[in-house]
Amino acid sequence: MNIAITPAMVGQVVISGILAGALYAMVALGLALIYGVMRVINIAHGPLLMLGAYTTFFLYSALGLNPYLSVPATMLVLFLVGVGLQRTLVFRVVDAPELSSLLLTFGVSIALVNLAQLAFTSDLRAVEYLTGSFPLGPFAVSKTRLVAFLFAAGVTALAFLFLQRTRLGKAIRATSQHREVAMVCGIDVQRVHLITFGLATALAAAGGALLAVIVAIQPEMGQIWTFKSFLVIVLGGAGNYPGALLGGMLLGLIEQGASLFLTTQLSEVVAYVLLVVVLLVRPTGLLGGRQT
Amino acid sequence: MLVVALAVYPTFGTGYGVRAMLQIFMWIALAGSWNLISGLTGYVSFGHVAFFGAGAYTGAILISKASWPWLAAALAGGVGACAVALVIGYPCLRLKGPYFAIAMLGLNEVLRALVSYFEGLTGGGSGLSLPTLHATVPIYYAMAGTAATVTLLTYLIITSRFGLRLMTIREDELAAEAMGIDTARHKLYAFLLSAVGPGIAGALAARDQGYIEPISVFPLATTITMIVMVLFGGKGTVWGPVLGAVVLFVSQEFVWARFPYLHQLLFGAIIVAVVLLMPRGVLGLLQVKYRLPRTI
Repeated sequence: MNIAITPAMVGQVVISGILAGALYAMVALGLALIYGVMRVINIAHGPLLMLGAYTTFFLYSALGLNPYLSVPATMLVLFLVGVGLQRTLVFRVVDAPELSSLLLTFGVSIALVNLAQLAFTSDLRAVEYLTGSFPLGPFAVSKTRLVAFLFAAGVTALAFLFLQRTRLGKAIRATSQHREVAMVCGIDVQRVHLITFGLATALAAAGGALLAVIVAIQPEMGQIWTFKSFLVIVLGGAGNYPGALLGGMLLGLIEQGASLFLTTQLSEVVAYVLLVVVLLVRPTGLLGGRQT
Repeated sequence: MLVVALAVYPTFGTGYGVRAMLQIFMWIALAGSWNLISGLTGYVSFGHVAFFGAGAYTGAILISKASWPWLAAALAGGVGACAVALVIGYPCLRLKGPYFAIAMLGLNEVLRALVSYFEGLTGGGSGLSLPTLHATVPIYYAMAGTAATVTLLTYLIITSRFGLRLMTIREDELAAEAMGIDTARHKLYAFLLSAVGPGIAGALAARDQGYIEPISVFPLATTITMIVMVLFGGKGTVWGPVLGAVVLFVSQEFVWARFPYLHQLLFGAIIVAVVLLMPRGVLGLLQVKYRLPRTI
């Protein structure tokens, strides 16, 4: 396999990598929030993203709602789903051994995927909107990818603003630093957990809504996102929220870079090898562990 | 009694009956193996079917390309699965926390992609056919032997100091470390042992079916079924996986095969319900109610 790599190809990789990376960062920030606050890895994070994609699809096909206008609506719907999940199931395993929360969210994930299979069938669905790409100098930029990047960057910035500036955001960060002390300070930790799970699910849903115009929608589209989001967290450092941004960008760039040399099938393997290598060499992630 | 009945069953059983029993043995071996790592140490493996697939491909390649006898190829399947487990387990089990679980979540997809990619060796997406051989009855005995060995191994581990250390890790890993247990090494040993059974079972199943392809030996549904069987029967027990395998295989075969998605949906619900309502499974409930020995 001798492929001559031109500077133009490298530029294209950087552009596509950054465009994809913002989406990874946004979705992974959701997983990182739940892990940081509750020490729970939500295996159902990817399937919730899938529900977000379907929500956008049905808002588009049934009500004719513009897919980009429906991003906030989809986020709101899935925020409520997330709060509901936390309220009924997940809160019971927050303090249980890790085995319980992993298995519980795994069960939820299987149930969601198969519920989607039953309700929506496994037909591929698509939202056709803004197709094609436009030239930017020597590079081709996909329109849907660019808009997805802008939305993801905006939503992520809002999420960080919320975490940094608002009382509720501060309460979330305080709980993730030290739950008991947060309780002593008068923070309603149960409520923080509810909001966190809702917010995290909304972030996944935003990812699903933006993907709805990019890729085919089907019930099994989500699972890989749980894995990739976790990889992003590991790259950036578990419990380190800004780390998720760096991790997302890195994953986007590495995947796109790998696609220069490898077939699509093998570029999935690259993400995996990356996880194993990072765990071997620097398990605390590139920016180090918990510094919220 | 039961052992004798199972041993002579192939001489009078129908073809379908023998095949169904073979499947039950396979599930006992798979569920029992998952129990060794996840039931005993508390480290959840979400991709145990990867070892089944690794064993199936190791065995099938040795049989079709190197003309190995199937029994030797089956043992090699166990070794092959063990090698995969070492590569994944060494980096991921040194760490506490969810790293191992997520790494296992992706492993299956990775092996499937690799198998599809190296077409020369594996036949890629079009699969690998093995030379015809009518050996269902010998394979029946081999699979029964595998299931029995996994169950016996579980008993030996649970009643040994090694098993106690594993369960200490499950209950409180920090305390285990403080007592001087090399937790990383113990977890790794348990994981390697848990990969052998599925590897052998995979190679035997490949020989029995005579044809394998990536989607047939790496289905996520197999991992889900293993987990449900163990949770239902009782994780961390000797007979829980056996009970779970028999009950769920029978119900699957007679009732649920007709409703695949509903069936999987139900499995998801069972996992949630067992975790919340009876974390120790059916056998755990019986142990408490009738004061059965802990080593059952």
